[in-house]
Amino acid sequence: MDWPLSLYRALLLCYPAEFRYEYGAEMAQAFRDRWREEPGLTLWLNLFADTIISASKEHSHMLLNDLIFAIRTLRKAPVFTAAAVLTLALGVGANSAIFTVVNAELLRPLPFADPDRLVRIYEKNDRLNLPQFAASVLNYLSWKEQTQTLAQVGAIGFASFNLTERGDPEQFNGATISPSMFPLLGLQPVRGRAFRDGEDRPGGAPVVMIGEGLWKRRFGGDESLIGKTVNLNGTAYTVVGIAPRALFTLTGGEIWIPMLIDPPREQRLNHVIVAVARLQRGVTLQQAQAEMDTIAHRLGQQYAEMKDWGITLTTFYHWFIQDQLRTALVVLLGAVVLVLMIACANVANLLLSRAAARQTEIAVRTAIGASRGRLLRQLLTESLLLSTLGGAAGLMLAAWAVHMMNTSLPANLLPVDQLVVDSTVLLFTLGITLVTGLLFGMAPAWQTLKTDLITVLKQGGRSNVGSRRPLLRNGLVAGELAMAAMLLAGAALLIQSLLHLQQVRLGFRPDRLLTFQLSPPSAKYPSTQRAWAFYQALLANLKTLPGVRGAALSSGIPLGAGNYNTTPATPVGNSLLPAGTAIPIDWRAVSPEYFRTMEIPLLRGRVFTGDDGPNAPPVMVISQVTAQKLWGAEESIGHIIRLGSGKQFTSVGIVGDVHSTSLNQPPAPTMYFAAATRLWPLMDVVVRTEMEPNAAVSSVRQKLHELDAELPMSNIRSMDEWISNNAAQPRLNTVLLGIFASVALLIAAIGIFGVLTYSVNQRTREIGVRMALGAQRGDVLRLVVREGMVVAVAGIGAGLTGALGLSKVLATLLFGVDAHDPATFIGVAAILLAVALISCLLPARRATRVDPIVALRYE
Amino acid sequence: MRKDAVPDPEAFLPLQPAVFHILVALADRERHGYAIMQDVAARTDGKLKLSPGTLYGSIKRMLHDGLIEELEERPDPEQDDVRRRYYRITRLGREAAIAESGRLAKLLGQARAMGLAPRRT
Repeated sequence: MDWPLSLYRALLLCYPAEFRYEYGAEMAQAFRDRWREEPGLTLWLNLFADTIISASKEHSHMLLNDLIFAIRTLRKAPVFTAAAVLTLALGVGANSAIFTVVNAELLRPLPFADPDRLVRIYEKNDRLNLPQFAASVLNYLSWKEQTQTLAQVGAIGFASFNLTERGDPEQFNGATISPSMFPLLGLQPVRGRAFRDGEDRPGGAPVVMIGEGLWKRRFGGDESLIGKTVNLNGTAYTVVGIAPRALFTLTGGEIWIPMLIDPPREQRLNHVIVAVARLQRGVTLQQAQAEMDTIAHRLGQQYAEMKDWGITLTTFYHWFIQDQLRTALVVLLGAVVLVLMIACANVANLLLSRAAARQTEIAVRTAIGASRGRLLRQLLTESLLLSTLGGAAGLMLAAWAVHMMNTSLPANLLPVDQLVVDSTVLLFTLGITLVTGLLFGMAPAWQTLKTDLITVLKQGGRSNVGSRRPLLRNGLVAGELAMAAMLLAGAALLIQSLLHLQQVRLGFRPDRLLTFQLSPPSAKYPSTQRAWAFYQALLANLKTLPGVRGAALSSGIPLGAGNYNTTPATPVGNSLLPAGTAIPIDWRAVSPEYFRTMEIPLLRGRVFTGDDGPNAPPVMVISQVTAQKLWGAEESIGHIIRLGSGKQFTSVGIVGDVHSTSLNQPPAPTMYFAAATRLWPLMDVVVRTEMEPNAAVSSVRQKLHELDAELPMSNIRSMDEWISNNAAQPRLNTVLLGIFASVALLIAAIGIFGVLTYSVNQRTREIGVRMALGAQRGDVLRLVVREGMVVAVAGIGAGLTGALGLSKVLATLLFGVDAHDPATFIGVAAILLAVALISCLLPARRATRVDPIVALRYE
Repeated sequence: MRKDAVPDPEAFLPLQPAVFHILVALADRERHGYAIMQDVAARTDGKLKLSPGTLYGSIKRMLHDGLIEELEERPDPEQDDVRRRYYRITRLGREAAIAESGRLAKLLGQARAMGLAPRRT
């Protein structure tokens, strides 16, 4: 009879302690009786089932009771509840919103099959200082032929299309892709088929794939489009398939044609394509890199011009998610975690105050038999209820924030375009909600439980156990201030970076500048001469418009969407560089009026004239930094540069430096060619206006269509919009971190205020005695303020020390300000001390109004 | 147990089967837990054997609702050595059981009228 009873007693442990305490002995007795009558396996099976069902019933019953009790308790303290829920909602909401972005950008896999095995293949040239450069078609073909470690290799080229079918002519970006691209990425066409091998050889029938979005928008999702022809750039292409959105994620654009490859017409040094590949199953990046090094070496021996060129492989993940974005997201995530911790500390403090007030209740309940475990459970139910309410409100806040981000962030800011609150985000929110509930519930519950029952009951509730143990409460407040200090320091550094960015001297005058892009189709404008004649006529016509002061052409305006290109350039003759070395140079083809229209100053020599045409000697205009880098202080004109292609250009003028690609990088060396000699398929037009630039759009369009009614304008923006777009990411970082820091500061201020108010209440009698003994109001004020400020100074000091250590993380996001900038740190300390002082003064003033007689009589 | 208002026996309907069985078992005399189990088993020809967990879970809630009440502990007359807790049906419990019987009788009548139950012999 011993072991069955012991086993059953063990089973009884499944029940809540109170239930066991109340009925355990009876149940064991009933079991003994029954075992005597019908011992056996059937009884055990019955008992197991019974225990599982009835024990879980007891537990849920108790939980429900606790919950009802907790709701009643919280309803009795609406101000406390509202303060706690609001604080938590801010913390959880900020976390869920930022996590949504992190989830979308960093955690969710790229929309390709097995994305870990996808790599981009860069060419590199250490001598030319080009660590990651585009690939050439001939090298791409060699790699494809020789590799064992890459399962598939594919190529992407730039293309631009004027679509004149169905509706107004419209210009689209697109890409040329190798037929291997679909199997390489593991994509399936939405309708129809992908390109076939052989469709990339010149002379075949023109075929095209159209993006799903364009297909739905422009063609109404017409199923019968497959097999029909559309007119692109004046040529009829047969639509063979509809491409999924994932292809857009990789290449951009909405129209794809096969990349036509004609090896005899290609040059090894013509770096124009993006090469991508899929690793063989089981092959690591290092193994593939090793093989590509061997191949590059072999090609260098085979072809003299390839001597200094190597190959670098990068995973798609690193290619897509750039370091700055990753750092920004990590910093923001860290910031919101701090906000949440501050919120937790604050709610814990609120609960501590309440716990002190509830000591009598707890003591009475313990006295009438509630176990410590039972009370702990009750208290934790209360904090979990609070955190759940806060979490639910926070989730709503996050959903709203995500909606705002989706609708108001500029496109292209984030690599993944739609942010969604998905199951991962919900799970994350649930997780932090539970963790915060336990976190801020633990400390007060623990302190409540170790309260000495007898003392409390003896004192009839006038205990001040809380104030005798102020260390925990003060520690929490100091911690809050420390975290707020770190956030504020980070935000202050970012704000200064943004201010510096906005003060960057662009090198040209950006206001009242209208920009748009044109792509005259080669079918209609087969030669550079024909296209240049068209542009000349257009620019001349635009200048006749009222309110237009100038118009010009460029292959890529600064900070715009157009093409800019980097090419290795070698100075010929005397130079600061060792003979034969080259530097990467940005180059742009511009019309003669470009510098005047953009107001880029001419420093020396001349700009282009109408005589700088295809038959004149090849000349260039260079930027100041180019001249300084290559020829130093001499900065004279008449120097010669040789490009990678071997062609040589003589400098005729030096112009001011321009921030062409980003605001936070110093201007890169730039050279300009005459547009009459070189035109890109896609060109930027700039128009200097006397009025608000966008007001000129319709008259500009009219002038354009007088020349060519089928040619669409695309990317119509003012220069100011491009600049603001370029600063969007730093601005967003700054705004978000600024908001988080303000919220943190606010919560921390409420924290100091709450703790001091409580402390003043607890010490009413002491203060009364002091005043009765002759202490002046000023003395009392100083007493309370000193108590608060000691905590504040400790917290702020710790926080700023931490911030000094952490600000290195921010370094890549900073511009024009040092991560340890003393002025910033002093300013932040001053702000925090001021806020802390105000938060101390309010309760202190209250303390001075204590009436000694009332305070003493109360006791 | 709510003491501020007289509870309505109808409010407990329908009674859970275990609760109804316990009330029936306690209708004629007070019993201890194991005796309730035995009585229910006997009444149902051994088909329903309340397990300890179900029994005491129900007892706990019935005590809370005031359907039964607990008597002082005393020895089991059959096993003199063991002290046991005895339970007695309350007035409210009796009313609730009557109301439940009425509800079941009404339901049975309706089932009979539709040919879903044997005719009364």
